Amino acid sequence: MVRGENLEKKEEDKVLPKLKSLGKNLLNEIKSGTSPTLEFLARGLDNVIYDEKNKILVLGNRKEKRVFLSASQAKKFMQTVAVAAKCKKFKEENLHTSIRGLFYQLKFTLGEDIEEDLFEEQTESNQIVEDLEVLLGTKREDLNLSTDRKGVVAGPLIIKDKFAGTTTTIDCTKMGRSGWMIPSDVDNGMEFVKCEADYVLVVEKDALWQRLNEDQFWKKENCILITPKGQASRGCRRLIRKLADMKLPIYGLMDCDAWGWYIYWTIKTGSMNLAYIGSEISTPEIKFIGVTMKDIEKYPFLKKLTIKAKDVDIKRAEEMLSYPWISMHKEWVEELKKVIETKKKLEQDALQGPRLTFVGDYIKEKIENKEFLP
Amino acid sequence: MSGKKEKGKKEDVIEKLETEAHKIFEEFKEYSVAEFFKKNRQMLGFSGKVRSLTTVIHEGVTNSLDACEEARILPNIYVKIEEANNHLKVYMEDNGPGIPKEYVGRALGRMLAGTKFLRFQQSRGQQGIGISGAILFSQITTGKLIHIRSGIGDGKVYECDLAIDVKTNTPKISNFVEYPGNFRGLGISAEYAEVKYDRSEYSPLEYLKATAMANPHAQITFVGPDGERVIFKRSSNVIPKKPTAVKPHPLGITTDDLISYAHHSKERKLSSFLIQNFSRVSEQKVNELKLLCPSINFEKMPRELKWEEAEQLVEAFKKIKWIAPSSEALIPIGEKQIEESLKNLLNPEFISVRERPPKVYRGGVPFLVEVAICYGGRCGRQGKEGPELDIKRFANRAPLLFDAGGCAITEAVKSIDWNRYGLKDIEHMPVTLFVNFVSVFVPYTGAGKTAIASEEEVIDEIRYAIMEVARDLGNYISGKIRDKIREERKKAIMRYIKQISEDISYLSEEGKPGEIEKMLLEIVEKKYKKKLE
Repeated sequence: MVRGENLEKKEEDKVLPKLKSLGKNLLNEIKSGTSPTLEFLARGLDNVIYDEKNKILVLGNRKEKRVFLSASQAKKFMQTVAVAAKCKKFKEENLHTSIRGLFYQLKFTLGEDIEEDLFEEQTESNQIVEDLEVLLGTKREDLNLSTDRKGVVAGPLIIKDKFAGTTTTIDCTKMGRSGWMIPSDVDNGMEFVKCEADYVLVVEKDALWQRLNEDQFWKKENCILITPKGQASRGCRRLIRKLADMKLPIYGLMDCDAWGWYIYWTIKTGSMNLAYIGSEISTPEIKFIGVTMKDIEKYPFLKKLTIKAKDVDIKRAEEMLSYPWISMHKEWVEELKKVIETKKKLEQDALQGPRLTFVGDYIKEKIENKEFLP
Repeated sequence: MSGKKEKGKKEDVIEKLETEAHKIFEEFKEYSVAEFFKKNRQMLGFSGKVRSLTTVIHEGVTNSLDACEEARILPNIYVKIEEANNHLKVYMEDNGPGIPKEYVGRALGRMLAGTKFLRFQQSRGQQGIGISGAILFSQITTGKLIHIRSGIGDGKVYECDLAIDVKTNTPKISNFVEYPGNFRGLGISAEYAEVKYDRSEYSPLEYLKATAMANPHAQITFVGPDGERVIFKRSSNVIPKKPTAVKPHPLGITTDDLISYAHHSKERKLSSFLIQNFSRVSEQKVNELKLLCPSINFEKMPRELKWEEAEQLVEAFKKIKWIAPSSEALIPIGEKQIEESLKNLLNPEFISVRERPPKVYRGGVPFLVEVAICYGGRCGRQGKEGPELDIKRFANRAPLLFDAGGCAITEAVKSIDWNRYGLKDIEHMPVTLFVNFVSVFVPYTGAGKTAIASEEEVIDEIRYAIMEVARDLGNYISGKIRDKIREERKKAIMRYIKQISEDISYLSEEGKPGEIEKMLLEIVEKKYKKKLE
């Protein structure tokens, strides 16, 4: 168990040099009389593979070329370079914006006599941002592009937040009933000063988080209590990864249904859509506490609290069975098959059935007995 | 006549037409000129008000072109149409050799005076009745005299009025005056009723334009009733070769021809008649004929040849191996001349010209086909909804304006799968298709000389020729499309250069945007350079 202070050294910004060298490489190609070309890993789902060594979803080796001299690629090429240049400016100015803000920064006409905008639709610029992330091997958050925030933290974690010219020390034990809202970027300007927790608990639902917070569960258990509030945001996933990097055990408590399990697996292996930053936002170390179909046998009261699984749940379960990185675990196969067979599911809220504080006892018991699913 | 039915319809039609021409000649002797004209007016091209006017112009211009050609003069032709007393007055003048005053009556005032009739040579006015027909038409419709002005370049010019005595088919000259002058050539002024001037595709102007196309050595000036002056400039100084008379080849002969020739022959024996009047007929061939036709007496006078015997001979001709007929007498315009002419008149963006090697039709009549396809510029016809394909038909350089539907050229054009050449929309393209049929004997569908009969070999040959130039145009158009695509691609890339240069300069912190822009422009230009032709 690692408890560290100043766990993160102030990293030198690696992104600005990357942007500069991108420009230099293009300039050199132009100087040598060749068509400037960008090459990066293809982001298509057919190029997403499961990295068995690191146990995460990453991009395969298939590469895509973007050639300026190709009429069909010229515009995208220009857009990519324009986004890169704009991000360089954001970095230099130390200002952040959303991808929508970026779109508005780049929605201008290409010339007085040209009836064409650099970007017409935000969907175009969103795509280019992803391209640039792959191209530079960097997250958008590192390019000063913020994403929607979601997820809340409570527990023994102290962070120095250098933002807008001031530094604020955040103590996640002093956030009252609301907790600390996980920002879009937990890397840049964020200094993890102190983390004295024994483990990290990720609960799917905000309601349960509030319940555990009221019980002062994180204090009693000396853990960091996180809720992604459903599917985890990029910032939330990154934070979990960083906490795992501090050698803290990570546990997940989700609904016993396909959706809850999918949230768990997204945190664990990353998602196919974000496979290009897989290593930065995946936490294969995470272990699944519950809720499981097996719990129904162990805690008879749960038997009455099951609800009917919907078609989407069954479909999702079948889909998950088709993923080799999930079906390689026989425990998960059992669970998923049980859902498909019984057409039943169980919400984590059901753990409040016997009494409101039962949830805490349930978690403690599971961790003590090391009763996890992989 | 029993054997004839087996020969197929087309051949019958041709033979009928040939016979018709002879009938004209025969009837001509029997009836008065006026009667003859009235009877045959339609067939001679004097039907319909617009068409009649164009026929008048045609007869005059043809006469002038033939005269100049024979005299080795580069023709300048002037045609003026003006309104006069509810009539149209047409004045036509050339710079040809002129007519010596003692011949003027005979040359112009007698129908069929030219007697090109029995000359087997390539000529514009090969059939029909020529300028005297036009003169007669004037006289019949207005009752007025024709005014003639001519000189042969000897310092004297004469003028006179001329009429044709329709009862005796003899010219009547009046008001003859002669005065010193340098004019050489022939001017004919005549008034016409039952004619109408317009600007349709059958109009005199269209006719003259077509004539100019096929006669690049001629300069033609036209002044219309509205005072409009159009000059079709000369684009070639090469006067066409003088046509040489060639004897008919046995394979190109019909029974009717054979009878006509035989009965006009002054030879004393049928055998020598055959040797003297036909090409490739030798003593040896006559001996072969004798074996094939044992019942015919080759020693008798040719004028005693009977129809049945002539028929037998024509059948025998087909069984003997002949040396192919000479194509020497064929006088094409020439690829270079056609190209220059069409460039001159249509200013096309693209042109392809083909002269096909001589072929024979009906087993022995030599002919050849010249075609040109031009695109863009002033090509095509202006239709209601934009440009349309314009087919210019010619027979021995003479424009065929009428009866397009019944013409072998039209038939050949229609038979082509234009889609194969990427020219699916040819009907609506600014394209002029020029087809000149060259032969010492043109199988016209009628004495009006307006359409070529659908001889299979002729249609095939025209089709092959058109296919060749269609392929060229197709390649050009698809190349043009490729160029256009290339140009559009280049343009699309070009518009991004400024932005990208600024961004690369900013990213690299090196190089001025202007310099990067210049380098990028060069790279793009190099890649999207038009491929050398």
